[in-house]
Amino acid sequence: MGKPTGFLEFGRELPANRDPKSRIEDSKEIQLKFDAEKLNKQAARCMDCGVPFCHNGCPLGNNIPEFNDAVYEEDWKEAAEVLFSTNNFPEFTGRICPAPCEASCVLGINKPPVTIEQIEKEIAEKAFELGLVQPNIPRNRTGKKVAVIGSGPAGLAAAAQLNSVGHTVNVYERSDRIGGLLTYGIPDFKLEKRIVERRIKHMRQEGIVFKTNCDIGENVKTADIMDQYDAVVVCTGSTIPRDLPVPGRELDGVHFAMDFLTQENQRVAGDKIKPQDVVVATDKHVLVIGGGDTGSDCVGTSNRHKAKTVTQIELLEKPQLERGEKDPWPLWPVVLRTSSSHQEGCERQWAMNTMAFHGMEGKVSSVELVEVEWVVAKNGRQKMAEVENSAKIIPCDLALLAIGFLHPQHTGLIAQLGLELDNRGNVLCENYRTSNEKVFAAGDARRGQSLVVWAISEGREAARSVDEFLMGTSVLESKDRSLLRV
Amino acid sequence: MSSLRHTGLPWELGLAEAHQTLVQARLRSRMVLQTDGQIRTGRDLAIATLLGAEEWGVATAALVVEGCIMMRKCHTNTCPVGVATQNPELRKLFTGKADEVVNMFHFLADDLRRIMAQLGFKTINEMVGQANVLKVNETPNHWKLKNLNLQPILEQAVLANGDTHHNSSKQKPLDKEALGYKLRAFSKSAIEDGIAVKGEFPILNIDRAVGTLVSSDIAQKHGSKGLPENSIDIKFIGSAGQSFGAFASKGIRFELEGESNDYFGKGLSGATLIVYPDKKSKFVPHENIIIGNVAFYGATSGEAYINGVAGERFCVRNSGARVVVEGLGDHGCEYMTGGRAVILGAIGRNFAAGMSGGVAYVFDPKDELSANCNMEMVEFESPDAEQQAEIRSMIEKHVGETNSMLAKSLLKNWKSTLKSFKTVMPTDYKRALELKKSNTKREQLTHG
Repeated sequence: MGKPTGFLEFGRELPANRDPKSRIEDSKEIQLKFDAEKLNKQAARCMDCGVPFCHNGCPLGNNIPEFNDAVYEEDWKEAAEVLFSTNNFPEFTGRICPAPCEASCVLGINKPPVTIEQIEKEIAEKAFELGLVQPNIPRNRTGKKVAVIGSGPAGLAAAAQLNSVGHTVNVYERSDRIGGLLTYGIPDFKLEKRIVERRIKHMRQEGIVFKTNCDIGENVKTADIMDQYDAVVVCTGSTIPRDLPVPGRELDGVHFAMDFLTQENQRVAGDKIKPQDVVVATDKHVLVIGGGDTGSDCVGTSNRHKAKTVTQIELLEKPQLERGEKDPWPLWPVVLRTSSSHQEGCERQWAMNTMAFHGMEGKVSSVELVEVEWVVAKNGRQKMAEVENSAKIIPCDLALLAIGFLHPQHTGLIAQLGLELDNRGNVLCENYRTSNEKVFAAGDARRGQSLVVWAISEGREAARSVDEFLMGTSVLESKDRSLLRV
Repeated sequence: MSSLRHTGLPWELGLAEAHQTLVQARLRSRMVLQTDGQIRTGRDLAIATLLGAEEWGVATAALVVEGCIMMRKCHTNTCPVGVATQNPELRKLFTGKADEVVNMFHFLADDLRRIMAQLGFKTINEMVGQANVLKVNETPNHWKLKNLNLQPILEQAVLANGDTHHNSSKQKPLDKEALGYKLRAFSKSAIEDGIAVKGEFPILNIDRAVGTLVSSDIAQKHGSKGLPENSIDIKFIGSAGQSFGAFASKGIRFELEGESNDYFGKGLSGATLIVYPDKKSKFVPHENIIIGNVAFYGATSGEAYINGVAGERFCVRNSGARVVVEGLGDHGCEYMTGGRAVILGAIGRNFAAGMSGGVAYVFDPKDELSANCNMEMVEFESPDAEQQAEIRSMIEKHVGETNSMLAKSLLKNWKSTLKSFKTVMPTDYKRALELKKSNTKREQLTHG
């Protein structure tokens, strides 16, 4: 450990963000550069715990105290080696992860936790800057071919891992760009696409072949894939959004969040959107339904479009500001989170249910909301009850549904392979292997909607399972099996 | 054998073996067995009891209840939850409550009680050592378990008539006929009236802490200054038990013909101890162990001449005794803070670890010292003239007291002997001595 008393001497500090007023004028990353000296002090706050709970908080099992120490010692090679040993894409997670590691950081018991995510980002960027990230080209090829369906974080992680042990990996993507939600879900102001492209370029150099505009089961035959490959990894994500079946849902101007966000990313990338498909928030009263991360992305994007007003509603009650009895350390705290998008301007309302959309000439113009309260029902579960006389109508000419995703798309690939599903509609697996012996699944398609860090973790774990299937044994690292002794 | 290389085993192994062995030796009813090491649940307590323990230590679990998060930083004063720190800012963060610890022990007891009820035991005493009720869970199909035979642990020890699996008899008080008491009576005139005494006693290894009672009498009457030299001059013949000459005071001279068990001269407080082999023995003294482990532990003053090899942990925490020995085991002079050790033979490994004071002179003709010495706090040098004189006078006295053949031969070839002597000196101690010397000189110059 670099500095045993670091946590007593230095407080938590993150780099400043750009001014909200100016940053909504573009789609660039909002965080400013961080001073090397300051970063060093932040790394020094790590206590090198005897039992590092961050290991367990992180779905990837990142060896956090070790890379913190290396940063403190300014040994970037060591830091990068430790970080990349458990995480294929820290340049993504260092930017967009909600950092469950920080929630379980031991320092967080009674002080603000170590800025693990920020340190991760800095290591990743420094590693690229110093040329420490080199294409990992396998020395030998096994002759086995693997198809990865879906190029989101799970698919990319699985592909990188499988390629590293010499399998020939082809990644299929139905959209026109690689990256899945990294590219077409997360707004540029949170993750600039050059970061994704930089990684894809590396992976291409490693020998991975990416095939865009290939929708397996639609324009590419599922049977052909099954014939050509020794194993298939389904990483198609949880793409079916939860709908809101209330009167007026069919009105023009009521959209799923992803339609809005994907289009914006295409626009920022320089694509032309067909006039009849354009969904923008400019000069509109925007209502974002759903208080999660996707909703927050809609808020940030609406502000960049110069919406007239942006309101975000959430069905659940406003969370506490601090941990309570139900979520003590080291559990994930259910507390009020204010994202950078919220800081850019937005009215937030909690315990609010949507009753109906009203409109004129087929276009939504207002929405009817009602306040709810949550009570504990007889069976011990939380139950929602409407507050009497609380109905109100607010103006709304763009409503965005960001209320979660149900499961992967069943039609096409999954149906044609006849994969068994679990009771939530996700692909049923045992050790990442589906009911079809040579088909594996990872990421949201298997575990349901989740975080990028979980997707990477799933991709890695599934890769090991695939490798064991193909070769009998595997030397691939997974959460419980690190090859790097630190 | 060194405990260093044999620690860290699960308590089940040692406990079962200790219990079975004690029952076999018909000693179990006279002892209390306690076990600890990650005991956290009633199940742990039950297994420990069935394997032979009637007492248990619970430490980590209780600490965790108090807020410990197993930082393993107890030694760095940076415990972030204020459990193991003296930093007032960190201690403020301590959130533990005594009631919660009490609560945990109630839960533990409840948990154990439940298991006892299931097994049909009413008391801990009737449960202790009933290993036959333990069954091996065969379900965890782990490859490591394949070649594991737990039978030796689960062996039910068979009691002799009238014996018990638990502690059921009180220890008898020290026999008034014991050698220590005899010695006390014998020495009375020396302590009370200042009339020196001289005598000879046979000794057996059941005679423990011989000389300690007498030393207590001396200390009570005369304090730490003790008695004039050789006021109580006793020769023992035989095999001495543990702690021979422990805390022996100034004025005592013990001469032992034979050998001695562990803790020889522990806490030595001014006496002179001499040991040499039985005159009839035919072995070479400097090739054979004559005193056990942990000799002169925490000795503060006095002298000793050992005509043979000592066991491990020789002179640990010695702060003032001056001893001559002809060889020793591992960890010699560990944490020594003062005194002198002249070592005429091989040393074990990890010599002088944590040694912060005193000086060791090692006769090292085969040049093995550097390989066996822990260099964290000490350095080597060749003895200077002053040190050479000190070594010589100590060896001469050793010959005078023990008639050591080895020492005699070393004296005979003194010039070549000296070439093989190395001074092991704690670095900081040396600096302090030099500083003191130069200060004295300056004082002499200014005042003289």
